[in-house]
Amino acid sequence: MDGYIYNWNVVWQSMPELRQGLIITLQISIVGMALAIAFGLIFATGRLSQYGYIRKISVGVVDVSRSIPLFVLLFWIYYGLSLKFSINLTAFQAGAIALGITGGAYMAEVFRGGINAIDLGQREAALAIGLTQSKAFFLVIFPQAIRIIVPQAVNVYVGLLKGATIVSVIGVADMIYVAQYVSLNSFTPFEMYSAVGIAFIALTVSVAGLAFLLEKRLNQGRARG
Amino acid sequence: MARSLILKELMKQTMAEALLQIKNVTKQFGDHVVLKDVNLEIAKGEVVCIIGPSGSGKSTLLRCINFIAPPDQGEIVFEGRSWKKFHSAFNIFANRKYEAQLPQLRSEIGMVFQHFNVFPHMTAVENVMLGLTKVRGKDRATARKSAEQALNQVGLGDKIDQYPEKLSGGQKQRVAIARALALNPKVMLFDEVTSALDPELVSGILDEMRRLAREGMTMVVVTHEMNFAFQVANRIVFMDQGKIVTTGTPDEIRNTTDPRARAFLSSILG
Repeated sequence: MDGYIYNWNVVWQSMPELRQGLIITLQISIVGMALAIAFGLIFATGRLSQYGYIRKISVGVVDVSRSIPLFVLLFWIYYGLSLKFSINLTAFQAGAIALGITGGAYMAEVFRGGINAIDLGQREAALAIGLTQSKAFFLVIFPQAIRIIVPQAVNVYVGLLKGATIVSVIGVADMIYVAQYVSLNSFTPFEMYSAVGIAFIALTVSVAGLAFLLEKRLNQGRARG
Repeated sequence: MARSLILKELMKQTMAEALLQIKNVTKQFGDHVVLKDVNLEIAKGEVVCIIGPSGSGKSTLLRCINFIAPPDQGEIVFEGRSWKKFHSAFNIFANRKYEAQLPQLRSEIGMVFQHFNVFPHMTAVENVMLGLTKVRGKDRATARKSAEQALNQVGLGDKIDQYPEKLSGGQKQRVAIARALALNPKVMLFDEVTSALDPELVSGILDEMRRLAREGMTMVVVTHEMNFAFQVANRIVFMDQGKIVTTGTPDEIRNTTDPRARAFLSSILG
């Protein structure tokens, strides 16, 4: 970029807004992830159900929600619900729900994969001592599956974190929105978006670090499932 | 002559007070019929060894007894109560009600598996305690005491707080045996429990089972250990292709005239 004069001052000047944007990104991704975990659990349970029709419905819902671009989903939820059903969500709510649905589809697969990875013998042994199906699941299967689920759930969360940048299109004042807004006046998109990029690298690395500690805790002195 | 009469008399008695009856049990996985109309009665205190080539349905039969793999047809009668498979394609509540009863049957029947299936996220003592606290409803202190006792009995008194990761195959299998015994089962099912063990560890587990047999435990043992079967069993059942081909005392089986049983025995005994 010969001849381009960098103006990093703009970044420093808009730091309070960027920080606010970062907090919103975090908030929306955390709420989105919470929803994703809830949806994921529901649909993973559905896919592992002993009833064929529940399995089929769950597969369908997961496949459809996984294939809708987040961008489109966001528009449907924010504008579509408002137009068709007069359900008026705030931009934040719409964003979190869209993230929850997309993330939920992935989480369903993560849960299913983790549970299926546990040897069938574990379930047999749990049932054989007289545990009920649900106790066998929560006391024997899930505690082992969670070690497989956590690292993959972190991947899903990092995806949601980045996906969360898309909510700027419906006017949520996240970091991207701030960067866009500031650049319009100062003509410094490169600096602003780079700042956002660096913030995301820092976020992702911190999340990965936390996940590493969590995994270490889960595996303390114990064999993998 | 007199001896055979006594035997017959004994048989009649055992028939009358069979602890466990397997009646016309059929089981299939998809199109593959694994068990075809199997009938077997097991008296209290009896040790029955089931032998036969792999794929003959021995393990499936064990799993039918405690409904881990419920029989598709037929019934299991345990202590006079009949158990039949129930499944409705749509009525979730009826299925729930049926499934809620099964733990009652299963907790009276101990099972030990080929691949141990100890819970890797729990220590030895926690493995044994799980059934005591979550099935029998004992408080943790009482459960821990009984669990330690059970582990002591199988010679694992010094491994109580170890995770399975740190235990050998033989020790894991001992944990599994203690886990089953701690619930005071009325019958124990053993599913090829020495097949996954290193050769030098096999005899220790077999000794454990001999001890149980001596103590009067009712046992159904699927095994390839012919010496054990001939020594310990009251009755040997030979299965092939999902059916019970022949059954008898160890002596009767040793001298069997059934061609399939003969072929199997000579292949395994050499």
